[in-house]
Amino acid sequence: MTNLIFAAVFGAIALLVPLMWRPEVTRARGGRIFAFLALAVVPVLAGLLGLEEHMERSKRTEFCLSCHPMEKYGKSLHVDDISFIPATHYQFGRVPRDTACFACHTNYTMFGDYKAKLTGLRHVYMQYLGKVPDKISLYQPYNNRECLHCHAESRSFLEAVTHKSEMQAIRDNQHSCLAKGCHDTTHGVDKLDTVSFWQNEVSK
Amino acid sequence: MSVELSLRIAATLVLIGLCVELVSLSWNSPIAFIVFVGVGGLAIALGILFFFYSIVALPRPNQGA
Repeated sequence: MTNLIFAAVFGAIALLVPLMWRPEVTRARGGRIFAFLALAVVPVLAGLLGLEEHMERSKRTEFCLSCHPMEKYGKSLHVDDISFIPATHYQFGRVPRDTACFACHTNYTMFGDYKAKLTGLRHVYMQYLGKVPDKISLYQPYNNRECLHCHAESRSFLEAVTHKSEMQAIRDNQHSCLAKGCHDTTHGVDKLDTVSFWQNEVSK
Repeated sequence: MSVELSLRIAATLVLIGLCVELVSLSWNSPIAFIVFVGVGGLAIALGILFFFYSIVALPRPNQGA
């Protein structure tokens, strides 16, 4: 992908230079078509490829954890306790480790990736221009849709007695998966001083 | 302003935008995305708009007085 982007960008630059050197070529019809390709089509293509590359990069766990306030959330992925939902997902391979944050903190809807990243721009603003709150919380209550994207048809979900009795409420997001008494231990960053951590080659 | 000059300006803006894109892609930071969209994307968009302006609004030499 990166090679393709660099090819597109350098290709666009290679087309622009002769146009800057001799703009009078646009007096002919062929020159105007050339200018349209050089100034509009190829740069837009290169820009879209660049945008996609930045989007893919921003999904990576290391990207999310590159901001200091997220460090403890990254640490919580290594907690040696299966009641910590993010840690369990990370350690047992229920989400890809290289995109662990994004796997849960996205919207599984049309253009959901872009919506999630637009929300992420607020984080960047907070990090560099605003003030990061002492207690970080979600902007909106966590939607069951994100859990059900993977779990909806899994046997462990369908056969759990508590799920069966609340199935429609869970599917309608009326009863949160993260409700008290259910899967209510998430990152638990305020408990990190009192827990042990999974030690393996990946986490070292 | 002549068409040639406006084309040069448009090409320069697009070139700046593409260079910013290259820099942002070799820079692994959340700020890189902001720079890419805010500076690179804006420069490319302005360049394209300037190009369209030059071909639509400015008289060509053989159409002039």
